[in-house]
Amino acid sequence: MTSGDEGLARGAQASDPSHDAGAPIAEHRSRTHATVETVLRNRLAVAGLVILAVLVLAAIIGPWVIPYEINEIDIANRLTGPSTDHWFGTDELGRDVFSRVVVGARVSLVVGFVAVGIALILGVPIGLISGFYGGATDSTLMRFMDILFSLPAILLAIAILAVLGPGIVNAMIAIGIVYTPIFARITRGSVLTIRQSVFVRAAESLGATNNRILRTHILPNVMAPIIVQTSLSLAFAILAEAALSFLGLGVQPPEPAWGRMLAEGRSFFEQAPWMAIFPGLAIVLTVMAFNFVGDGLRDALDPQQRSVIESRGVG
Amino acid sequence: MTEPILSVRDLTVSFGTRLGRARVVNGLSYDVEPGETLAIVGESGSGKSVSSLALLQLLPTPPARVEGEARFHGDDLLAMEDDEIRSVRGNRIAMIFQDPMTSLNPVRTVGYQLIEPLKMHMGLDAASARNRAIDLLDLVGIPSAAERVDDYPHQFSGGMRQRVMIAMGIACNPDLLIADEATTALDVTTQAQILDEIGRLQSELGLSVIWITHDLGVVAGIADRVVVLYGGAIMEEAAVDPLYEERRHPYTRALLASLPVPGADRPNRLRAIPGLPPDPTRMPPGCPFAPRCAHAQESCSQQAPELREAGEAHLVACHFDPEELYA
Repeated sequence: MTSGDEGLARGAQASDPSHDAGAPIAEHRSRTHATVETVLRNRLAVAGLVILAVLVLAAIIGPWVIPYEINEIDIANRLTGPSTDHWFGTDELGRDVFSRVVVGARVSLVVGFVAVGIALILGVPIGLISGFYGGATDSTLMRFMDILFSLPAILLAIAILAVLGPGIVNAMIAIGIVYTPIFARITRGSVLTIRQSVFVRAAESLGATNNRILRTHILPNVMAPIIVQTSLSLAFAILAEAALSFLGLGVQPPEPAWGRMLAEGRSFFEQAPWMAIFPGLAIVLTVMAFNFVGDGLRDALDPQQRSVIESRGVG
Repeated sequence: MTEPILSVRDLTVSFGTRLGRARVVNGLSYDVEPGETLAIVGESGSGKSVSSLALLQLLPTPPARVEGEARFHGDDLLAMEDDEIRSVRGNRIAMIFQDPMTSLNPVRTVGYQLIEPLKMHMGLDAASARNRAIDLLDLVGIPSAAERVDDYPHQFSGGMRQRVMIAMGIACNPDLLIADEATTALDVTTQAQILDEIGRLQSELGLSVIWITHDLGVVAGIADRVVVLYGGAIMEEAAVDPLYEERRHPYTRALLASLPVPGADRPNRLRAIPGLPPDPTRMPPGCPFAPRCAHAQESCSQQAPELREAGEAHLVACHFDPEELYA
């Protein structure tokens, strides 16, 4: 390489805004690293991450650290307010609300993650296939998604549970199905853009199979909006689980779930508001935490998404 | 004379549009001899890119409809099944695209993208594919290739990326390389380096090249033979020297007249060709260039001229001889 050429390369590098001016070329700043850094600079996102860390911890070690057994009935101390013995008070059977809220995190998180996982597993491939192949395949799949999308989420989940029967597993399946169209649509939209990129055409011209192009070239490039949507959907899924449990379609008693505790607390709201307030607060905090993290991720991932992907036609 | 490695006959490409069928390539025929560089020259919309994409079945059908024949070592590329054409792409015919900034996947390392075709076509295992990838980067003139192989495309400059694209193109030792405006997006210095590089690889590897461009300066430097395309049809085809000297077709003449002349005594005004290329949904019935041709006669807009022999291996699609026109 001639020295002139080297100067050229360096010049191009320096004018590239993604590089810190004066940074040596060899310095690695991977995209993941940059994303993490941007998220950590966002205070709300950090707050969200802290809340989530506490929740995950509660879900994992909760059953071993809580002061009372979750189903320990103590009629003598029923409906007592928050105190040093019972931080969040007791319910109508004298069970410790704090212990039940802590263990309830388990249900909420598991249902949230599994339901969104189902939505991802169904929605992302549908979106990939739809966007990539287009035509009749696209129309058929997307019209089906539109039908699902047009029904109110909770109503659809209730309808699915009416068919499958109530229960926590069925609730996860129902919520997963309800959120599938969102992922299908987001994925398809991004695929339509990436599909036009020169590098996809270049991969095709090098003899790559469709399957390979989808897996190695398109999927990694559409991940950013999917990741953002995942964290926002987790919040919705947890809310949906709470709603279904509130209606008695999700977690069955005596398992503690925030939605159920809210429903039970409703009847005693005037005598013992803590029965409803604390599980309610837990739901609010969790949903907010996921939203904060989701917003932080969007700020970190989306501007890049816009500048990196340019689609060009052929001359 | 040896057998041509690619012989295209009556290639016609049309697209279904709301305004009717757009005929973008109209009965294109040409041969590529082993080891030669054929330049396909034309302005935007002349069908030069589309015709080469059609060869590798890279156009979405529909809306595109491709007719004709393209024999590559005797096998018709256009009649191949998906599996067959896929084993030709990248393996025996490779293609380089115009824009090096977007031709590489931003989320994969350069090495990963280089290794892909090697694994696909040559069945190499990960370690030997990686070694070959490093050799290839070295071959196309990327310094410290062994370190750069794990870098991402954004860590390369435009010229470097185009070198990477070339490395991907020649990875599987193809017989034919189609370079679609491969140096258009680069500055002249880098362009000259890339041209040198391809020339060197060509003599080392015995590669045939189809060079698609609108840059007549590049053509003069590298091509053996030139096909001048307009409105999806050949206007003139000849070896590079006779073409530039004789300029038989009025379109070739107008194109060359629109170029600046280096070293001219006084600054000469560039002569642009008036008008726009024809709308492919409403092709003129006669010669496609007639509406813009300074020498057009009445017969030009009524009957399309046949491509005829006008000298040794010199084909022209014009009703008139240059002696009649440019007297």
